[in-house]
Amino acid sequence: MTSCFQTNNEFAHFSGRTNPMAGSQGRGRAAYTFNIEAVGFGRGEKLPDVVLKPPPLFPDTDYKPVPLKAGEGEDYMLALKQELRETMKRMPYYIETPEEKQDIERYSKRYMKVYKEEWIPDWRRLPREMMPRKKCKKAGPKSEKVKDMGKGASLTNTADVLKKIEELEKRGDGEKSDEENEEKEGGKEKSQEGDEEDDAAAEQEEYDEEEQEEENDYINSYFEDGDDFGADSDDNMDEATY
Amino acid sequence: MTQAEIKLCSLLLQEHFGEIVEKIGVHLIRTGSQPLRVIAHDTGTSLDQVKKALCVLIQHNLVIYQVHKRGVVEYEAQCSRVLRMLRYPRYIYTAKTLYSDTGELIVEELLLNGKMTMSAVVKKVADRLTETMEDGKTMDYAEVSNTFVRLADTHFVQRCPWVPATENSDPGPPPPAPILVISEKDMYLVPKLSLIGKGKRRRSSDEDAAGEPKAKRPKYGTDNKEPIPDDGIYWQANLDRFHQHFRDQAIVSAVANRMDQFTFQTQTSSEVVRTMLRMSEITTPSTDPFTQPLSSNEIFRSLPVGYNISKQVLDQYLTLLADDPLEFVGKSGDSGGGMYVINLHKALGSLATATLESVVQERFGSRCARIFRLVLQKKHLEQKQVEDFAMIPAKEAKDMLYKMLSGNFISLQEIPKTPDHAPSRTFYLYTVNILSAARMLLHRCYKSIANLIERRQFETKENKRLLEKSQRVEAIIASMQATGAEEVQLQEIEEMITAPERQQLETLKRNVNKLDASEIQVDETIFLLESYIESTMKRQ
Repeated sequence: MTSCFQTNNEFAHFSGRTNPMAGSQGRGRAAYTFNIEAVGFGRGEKLPDVVLKPPPLFPDTDYKPVPLKAGEGEDYMLALKQELRETMKRMPYYIETPEEKQDIERYSKRYMKVYKEEWIPDWRRLPREMMPRKKCKKAGPKSEKVKDMGKGASLTNTADVLKKIEELEKRGDGEKSDEENEEKEGGKEKSQEGDEEDDAAAEQEEYDEEEQEEENDYINSYFEDGDDFGADSDDNMDEATY
Repeated sequence: MTQAEIKLCSLLLQEHFGEIVEKIGVHLIRTGSQPLRVIAHDTGTSLDQVKKALCVLIQHNLVIYQVHKRGVVEYEAQCSRVLRMLRYPRYIYTAKTLYSDTGELIVEELLLNGKMTMSAVVKKVADRLTETMEDGKTMDYAEVSNTFVRLADTHFVQRCPWVPATENSDPGPPPPAPILVISEKDMYLVPKLSLIGKGKRRRSSDEDAAGEPKAKRPKYGTDNKEPIPDDGIYWQANLDRFHQHFRDQAIVSAVANRMDQFTFQTQTSSEVVRTMLRMSEITTPSTDPFTQPLSSNEIFRSLPVGYNISKQVLDQYLTLLADDPLEFVGKSGDSGGGMYVINLHKALGSLATATLESVVQERFGSRCARIFRLVLQKKHLEQKQVEDFAMIPAKEAKDMLYKMLSGNFISLQEIPKTPDHAPSRTFYLYTVNILSAARMLLHRCYKSIANLIERRQFETKENKRLLEKSQRVEAIIASMQATGAEEVQLQEIEEMITAPERQQLETLKRNVNKLDASEIQVDETIFLLESYIESTMKRQ
C-alpha cells in the first residue's frame, strides 16, 4: 500500500492531539492518522497478527496448477530439447573444465574418453588478439606467418632484433624445451596481466624465454661457463674409456 | 539486467558450453563492455581460456566486439540473445512444420553452430539425412540447396555481417579487429554455388575415400582438400523472423478461439486473418503497430486455393472482425471494397492481458479473476465500487484486492482532494497498469525457469549413479545383440537392474520430462510478454 502517513499538520485537524507519540507509548490504543474506513477495516476490528518471520519456502497453494499442454508438437519439442542437450555436450564448443590430476591413472579412463572434433574459428572475423600465441615449431608455417602479421604492425626495431634472437635460440634448442615453453607460457601469462597494450605481447614472449631459461635445466649447461669439463680429466687419462 | 535474468543466463550457458564459458559470459553480462585482459584479471582465468571462451561466444552471436580508441578491443555480451537459447526447440520445430525434415535440420545445424557457410550446411544436412534413409538411398545436395534458398527467400536465415573486401594496397598496419559490415539488400542474397554431390553414410568399419581413418581425430572447420567456393559468407538463423511467425500464430489462434467456436467445418475468420498476415509478412516490418492496409479485393484474391467462400461472405467476416471489441482488425478506409488493417500492437496487448487474467485466475481463484477483469475494464475503481460492481461481500472483496495488490497485479492510485494530501481526504483507486504487471510477470517467469532448470539438474545428479549403471547395461546389451547372443544371456544382463531401480528410473524420467516440458511452456509465456513490452516501448 502506498504510504499515507503525514506531517503534524494533519494531526491537529484529526483529533486535536498535539502529542504525536501518544499512540505508540503504551497508551493501549493505536491512533490512526487517516480515515480507517477508507481502507476497509472497521474501527475496533481485530487486525491480523504481525508477521515475524519470512513466508514459508514452499507455501501451500489453494489452487493446483493446470496440467501441461500435451500434443504432438509438444512431444516433439520435448524430445528435441533433450536431444539438443546431449548433442551440445559433444560439440567442440563445449569446453570441459580441466580435471584435477588423479594420483593413479585409471586404465579404463583411456577407453572412456570421448573424441571431440576440433574447431578452428575463422580468424579473419575475429580481433587479432584472439589468436592463441603458440611458440611451437610444429605449428607449421601458416600460424607463424599469421603470428608475424599480427605482430608486424606493433613491433619496433629493437623488438625485431629480439625476435630474431629468439628464433635463433628456438632453432638451437631441443624439442623438449619447446614443450616446456608451451606449458610455462600458460602460467606466465597470468603474471602478465598488468599489461594493457598489445605491444607488450612481444616483450612478454621475450620475458618468457629468459625467465624460463633460468628454471630450465635442459637449456643451461650443467656447468658454469669457464669450466672445462672434459679438458682436465682427459689430460691424465691414458687408457680408453669404456 | 536483473538478477533473475543473470541467473538464468548462467544456467543456460553452463548447460550448453561448460563452466569456463559460463564464467566469462556471466562476468560480461554483469559488468558490460570490457577488454580482454581485464576479463582475465577479474575472473581469475588464464588468458588462453578466456580467448577460447570468447571465440565460442562470438561464434554463437552471444558476444560482440568493438574497437575503441588506441586500438583497444572491448567485448560486450548480449543477455537477451543468451535467453533465446531456451527457444531453440521451438525454432527447429517451426522449421520442420514449414519446410519438413530438410528445413528442420538446416535450422538445427545453424543454431548449434552459430554461423556456417552454405556449402558446409548443405553437406552436413545431406549426410545426416542420408543416415536416416534406407540402405542404398542418398540425399542429393541439390535438394538441400533448394530448401536453403527457400529459407533465405522467406528470410528465415540471413547472412552474418561480413568483412569488407579491402584493396590490398591499403597502407599502414592492419586494424586490431575487422569491422564487419552489413547491407540490407545483400542480407538474403544466396551465393551462386553449384553444389554437386550426395550425402555420405558414415561407415563404422572401413575407411572411405573421402573419409578419415578411424584413429585420426577429424578436423572440423578446415575443409579437406577442395577450396570452399563461398568462403567467408556465413549464414545464421534469423530469430526475428521466427518471432514474427510465432506472433502471427498467436494472433490467428486467438481469433480462432474467439470467433470460430461456432463454425464447425471451416475456420473462416482465422483463415482470413492468417491470409492478411501472410500478405503483410514481407511488406510490414514486425515492429509496426499496424500492418499495411489491405483491400477486401486483394484479400479475396489471396485466400488459399480451395477456399470457396463468396465475396459477400468474406465482406461479412471482415466487418464482423472489425466490429469485434477485441479490435484485432480495423477498418481504415472504403476504397477497393474496404481497406482493413491488423492492429498488431492492440493484438499483442490483448494477448498479454489475457495471460495476466489467466494467471490471476489460476493463482487466486475465479472470483479474484472477476474483480481483476472488472478493474481492467473500468480502469479505476474505489474499494466500495469494487464490492458493488463485482457483487462480492465486502470482507472477501477486500481480502482479494489485497492479495492481488501484494502480488503486484493491481496498484493503488492516489487522487488527493486537497493540496496537503491528507489521507482522510484522498481517493484511493485501484487500477491495473498492464505494462508494469507484464514486467512483473516476466520477471517471475525468468525465476520460474531458473528454478525448473535447477531442480532438473538436482534430480539428475541425485540419480547419477543409477543413470550411469543403466547406460552401461544398455551398452552391454547392444554389443551383445550385435554379436548375436542368446535370449537367456540378454535377460540375465537386463536383470542387473533390479525392479525397484527400474521404478526409480521411470520416476526420474517422468519428472525430468515434466520439468523440461514446463520450461518450454513457460518460454511461450515469456515470448508473449516480451513481445508486448517491446511493442509498447517502441511506441513511447
